[in-house]
Amino acid sequence: MIPIVSDLAPLVCGLLLAVTGAGKLFGRRTAQLAANTVLVRVLNDGRRAGLALRAVGAAELAVAAALLAVPGTLLPGVATAVLGAGFTGYLGYARATAPESSCGCSAKAEGPIGVRSFARAGLVLLGGAAAATATDPWWTEAARRPGWSAAFAVAAALLLCAVSADLDHVWLLPLRRLRIRLFGNPLAGAADGPVPVAASVELLEQSVAWQAASPIVRSALLDHWDDEGWRVLRFAGVYEQAARGARPVNVLFALDLGASIDTTSSPAVRVSVIDDDTDEMVPVDLLAGMATRQVLPMAT
Amino acid sequence: MSHRQNDPGRRGLDRRRFLTTAALGGATIVGASALGGLDADAAFAAPMPSLDPAISRSAFAEGRITQIKGSVLEVAGSHGDQHLIQLTNATSIWKLRTTTADQIQVGDGLYARGVDMPDGTIAADAVWVNIVNLYCTVKGIAKDRLHLAHGAQDHAVVGHIVADTTTASYLGGALTSDLSRVRIGQSAQILGAWRPADDAIDIARVTVGH
Repeated sequence: MIPIVSDLAPLVCGLLLAVTGAGKLFGRRTAQLAANTVLVRVLNDGRRAGLALRAVGAAELAVAAALLAVPGTLLPGVATAVLGAGFTGYLGYARATAPESSCGCSAKAEGPIGVRSFARAGLVLLGGAAAATATDPWWTEAARRPGWSAAFAVAAALLLCAVSADLDHVWLLPLRRLRIRLFGNPLAGAADGPVPVAASVELLEQSVAWQAASPIVRSALLDHWDDEGWRVLRFAGVYEQAARGARPVNVLFALDLGASIDTTSSPAVRVSVIDDDTDEMVPVDLLAGMATRQVLPMAT
Repeated sequence: MSHRQNDPGRRGLDRRRFLTTAALGGATIVGASALGGLDADAAFAAPMPSLDPAISRSAFAEGRITQIKGSVLEVAGSHGDQHLIQLTNATSIWKLRTTTADQIQVGDGLYARGVDMPDGTIAADAVWVNIVNLYCTVKGIAKDRLHLAHGAQDHAVVGHIVADTTTASYLGGALTSDLSRVRIGQSAQILGAWRPADDAIDIARVTVGH
């Protein structure tokens, strides 16, 4: 293999495994993290899953120490490759049996297993294979070709950032913000559309008309349509009369099509109550009880 | 109760025309109050005793729909309970938007408010299908979707923006279809409809900056 890659692979893999291993072994949230992994089901116990995750962390730390201290020997590289293969197999199993579970790969909590998890595990496997073929220690190689070594280290760091969700806030989100600043917001341009139905309902629900009709209304919004500058909102309700008992009614509200809480603080709403069986207008004095139900002023 | 929901005569243009005329013939009531509503948010409102006798008699059910028999939904509750939800022509049905009973499918999640009947069913006044209410962080913005992270685990969630339906709520303003003021990194409350097929969400309303 290319000497610069194989000789510096122990450094990169060693640092990566040191970080993730220490995170797993010493992390205060490891037990919590383990509870979301497929390990719980395999080991039948959340506590044992936590211990298993910590044990993996300890193994990663040991391999990292070996990679950093005695590069150029076969064993640490092989151990790294075995770790990588193990991670890949574990991810494959977890993905197949419990795709929603967390992978628990690095120190921090993360979402379900995805492409990035597999890419990380695959990189560990490849890095281990490269490290196993190293001929010189990484410090010798770094001293021999400092420029190329620095470039390789930067490239490796960028690659690891790209496959790690933990560092998204450092580079990915600023990059996305920059893209929106440079190329414009992809959601711009809908500002002048018609008033959404939800905004009409919002205005209705803040009106005296709604308050007055609310003892009759039973359903949520049942139907709505626009007609000649009006927006009609239909609700189902029950109107109870001492003489005739309860009867199903339609409660219809008509509002100005362009009105919202932005355009008016005192909405004008037409209200009518229609008997659902006979389609007759039900004469209801909606404001009859309103005087006794005045909203009290709020203490401020 | 009768089931005239699918009768075209009851839902057609003529019917709407008639109801429009009726609606415009009603009394005009002017003024603002702050009583609040029975809309999608109400499905998440904490149950509290209401002064209104009609509301205090309400029954409430939630779960996954296991079977649909005519206008009756069989629902398996999250706590091992079973419900039979009777839909009528007076039942409002929400699935991302106001819709009709034929949009409900087996496997959908459901919240229902209604009245307990003597035969053990619940006659539903309002049904919210697949409704979800998530507190998220906006991680990315694309033309037709928001990339969101939800909860302590930062679970990745895709929120689809649906034309003519998705609205945004900014502090002090009316609901608007203008989503351009949503920022990456912002905390957002997402009210929407879960899509069982791909586990994504169709966004009904994104609330930011409150």
